Amino acid sequence: MLFRLMKHEWRNLNADRTPLAIALLLGLAIVYGAANGSLWVGFQQRTINSALSEERERLKGVRAVIPKIESGELKTSPFTDPRLPQALGRGPGVRYAVMPPAALGALAVGQSDLYPYYFKVTTGSKQTFLNSDEIENPVHLLAGRFDLSFVILYLFPLVILAFSYNLVSAEKEGGTLALALSQPVTLRTLVLAKVLLRAGFVIALAVLLSVAGVAVGGANLAADGAGVRLLYWIAVTTAYGAFWFALAVAVNALGRSSATNAMSLAGLWLLFVVVIPSVLNVGVKAAYPVPSRVDLIQATRVAGDAATRRGAQLLALYIEDHPEMAPAQKGGAPDFGTIQIAVSEATERAVQPVLDRFDAQVAGQQIIVDRFRYLSPAIVAQSAFNDLAGTSAHRYRHFLVQADNYHRQWRAYFIPRILQKVKLSAADLDQLPTFTYREEDLGSVASRLQLSFFGLLFPVFLVAFPAWRWLRQYPIAG
Amino acid sequence: MTLLIARKELTEMVRDGRFRVSGAIVFTLLAGALLLGWQNYREVNAQHTAAQQASRAQWLNQGKKNPHSAAHYGVYAFKPKMPLSLVDHGTDSYTGVAVWLEAHKQNEFKYRPAQDATAVQRFGELTGATVLQLLVPLLIVLLSFNAFSGERELGTLRQLLSLGVSQSQLATGKALGVAASLGLLLVPAALIGSLAITAASGQGDIMASLPRVGWMALSYLLYFGAFVGVSLAVSAWAPSSRAALIILLGFWMVNGLIAPRAASDLAKVLKPSPSAFDFDQQMQLALAKGSDGHEAGARAKMLETELLKKYKVDKAEALPVNMLGVRLQDSENHGNEIFDQSYAALWDTFSQQNRVHQLVALVAPGLAIRSLSMGFAGTDFPQHTHFATAAEEYRRTIQRTMNDELTYQAPNTGAPYMANNDLWQKVSPFQYRAPSATWVAGQQAPSLGIVGVWFAGSALMAAWAARRVQVY
Repeated sequence: MLFRLMKHEWRNLNADRTPLAIALLLGLAIVYGAANGSLWVGFQQRTINSALSEERERLKGVRAVIPKIESGELKTSPFTDPRLPQALGRGPGVRYAVMPPAALGALAVGQSDLYPYYFKVTTGSKQTFLNSDEIENPVHLLAGRFDLSFVILYLFPLVILAFSYNLVSAEKEGGTLALALSQPVTLRTLVLAKVLLRAGFVIALAVLLSVAGVAVGGANLAADGAGVRLLYWIAVTTAYGAFWFALAVAVNALGRSSATNAMSLAGLWLLFVVVIPSVLNVGVKAAYPVPSRVDLIQATRVAGDAATRRGAQLLALYIEDHPEMAPAQKGGAPDFGTIQIAVSEATERAVQPVLDRFDAQVAGQQIIVDRFRYLSPAIVAQSAFNDLAGTSAHRYRHFLVQADNYHRQWRAYFIPRILQKVKLSAADLDQLPTFTYREEDLGSVASRLQLSFFGLLFPVFLVAFPAWRWLRQYPIAG
Repeated sequence: MTLLIARKELTEMVRDGRFRVSGAIVFTLLAGALLLGWQNYREVNAQHTAAQQASRAQWLNQGKKNPHSAAHYGVYAFKPKMPLSLVDHGTDSYTGVAVWLEAHKQNEFKYRPAQDATAVQRFGELTGATVLQLLVPLLIVLLSFNAFSGERELGTLRQLLSLGVSQSQLATGKALGVAASLGLLLVPAALIGSLAITAASGQGDIMASLPRVGWMALSYLLYFGAFVGVSLAVSAWAPSSRAALIILLGFWMVNGLIAPRAASDLAKVLKPSPSAFDFDQQMQLALAKGSDGHEAGARAKMLETELLKKYKVDKAEALPVNMLGVRLQDSENHGNEIFDQSYAALWDTFSQQNRVHQLVALVAPGLAIRSLSMGFAGTDFPQHTHFATAAEEYRRTIQRTMNDELTYQAPNTGAPYMANNDLWQKVSPFQYRAPSATWVAGQQAPSLGIVGVWFAGSALMAAWAARRVQVY
């Protein structure tokens, strides 16, 4: 029976040109969104490539120039001599810490246009290199991107609602409902058939086109973990779509007119996609206000000044703490590079509490968002999409930790050599620490995605259950 | 007659539960957003003012130093928040808040506030502007989509016209009715907003804020007027209320949500901006062609020869000026030329991108009102660059002052030279004057024109559609 009803519905839908037109629009939007995401991934990839080739060329240049300096053919100053570790580790020898776009990066631009994806790591303090923001017209950042995630979050529900806002009410208004129910079929079966057909069509369209879109856009679907992430994309999109279908059925089950249904559903869409997220955003900022970074700048400055004033003294203390790094030969005033190490170490130590406060506030915000996102399936879906596309704050922080470790490694290589006034040779260039990005552990990503998925599934049942009960009391006539 | 119609419309709407509920929601969100905006303004502004003073104090109390060390130490410029930003944050969350003014380099603004927020931010911030640009137009659509079609479907349109009411009277009356009911929630909200702006501006700046408030109010009124006109026109033209609603919701959707993103993408494709890496790389290459002034190279030799000729002496030691000072200023001049070129090119790309937005605004006036609102709130990109330019100007003043001191005061023997507080005092504190409302209006002339044309055009469209309205 169900199958026969679905077939009938399919014929009905086919006869009307509107659904086809809507589906076509959704298809276009999806293809456009996928192309847009792929463009952005390509841009990042190109930038990373030119950074890495700059690094290669630069190191090649240093390798060539060192013998010339050693032979006295070329003269340099203590600030630029690449044999001196304090010069090499700050300028000509530095390397990039790079986070490449993830395999499915084209699915959602997410936060990746806001956070840096490469750092030029030097012996200087973290703050000196953590700010390699990408250039972007701020108006574009404000508007956001027309990527697949936008299409699914905003437009996909609208298409679903356009398909189903008058699921039952139209039959009633057309007078065909009573007729259909005079046959041996219940209203529930009829609704189920209508929903299943529409859901199958719209969701399949969204999923297939988006997968095809990113695949054509150059996403590497064979990459490690890409398959799992893709499955989650399908699962989350399906659950998100199911939520909107459930909502449409619930509103229909209340037995109002098509026009009222359309207005209520538009209002609900606005509530879930626009109002709740922006109110939540305000709420978390009020609960965990992040102080302006201006405070951090001032704190760094004050600490830096204090440390500079005590430079020589700090160095003595530093050597006391790290006797193994003491200069090989005693005597002579400590040089600029040596004092700078002690100063920047002291500054960083003094600023750390301020930095921790920022991190704690942002983490606090994230906890509230993670807890309250279930208020709107759109937020749950957004966080899931960002997560599986590797454009979430989670992955950025994962990168930050690695960059931080690398920075420590970099310093651990250079600082003893600066203090001991070692002169480096061309062969030493091969010994410099290198950075390789380790992708987030798939298990932890998957566990977050699982939470999101169930966070979407739960409201589906929350809405579908009462809708199912209301359908029994549906006023078929009158 | 027109007023009678307007009064009837108003009474009907006010008694309608749907209007009361949606009106109350919109009003609550608007008032809440304004109050939150005020609170945020107060906090951020206090922080920035304090930091600016602290930065100045640090500059003054840096003790005895070589002028060039002081130039390297530099000062920070913190972007002040404009009082009207409490209505519209504009791009403030996506532009850096501070820039370090140091020797040799025009730095980028650092720390975009959005980086310290969660991804929920990307759904949009709850500000007065969000409510005014997204929710109020939706309310207008809901209030007026069935203005004509509803009367026709009820059969009252025929009666009305048989009474001798002309279609244009009916249209004007309906428009006034919608305007009056909107006024019921916008006027109190505007009062709250004005109070907040007055409190935020303080006594000195209120005169500077007032014209901006006026312009902003005018822009929004034109925009809302255009929405009322379009809604009435569609209502008169569409075959049924349902069709009118669907068309209007589609327009609202494209206008408010799709067009801004599509316009950004289009602008990026038509006028691509460079990656930060390429931008920096190109600047470094150009800078490397000059000297950083610290070292004696070929450029230094040339400068020396010139000076020897100018002062008619035969060796460097006899020069009345300090060569290091001359070299440093020379490298500053070289750098400034490159910074001017690079940033001018970059900002030009952005303004070309914004022109693409304006083109799209011809069909989606939401883009024009967004630009106007940010502009008069003082939170758009042109005003960010206005501040950036002022800060850079100040950086150059510091550099010139420090290098002049070195050139003319420091001995030419190479002996270390220390300056003190007197020199630091010579650099006056950084004062920034935000551009006037007239300057902004000039910048925003195209957007203002677009909103004006939409207003007039929609009124004509409504009148035209009303005259041809199907009575049956």
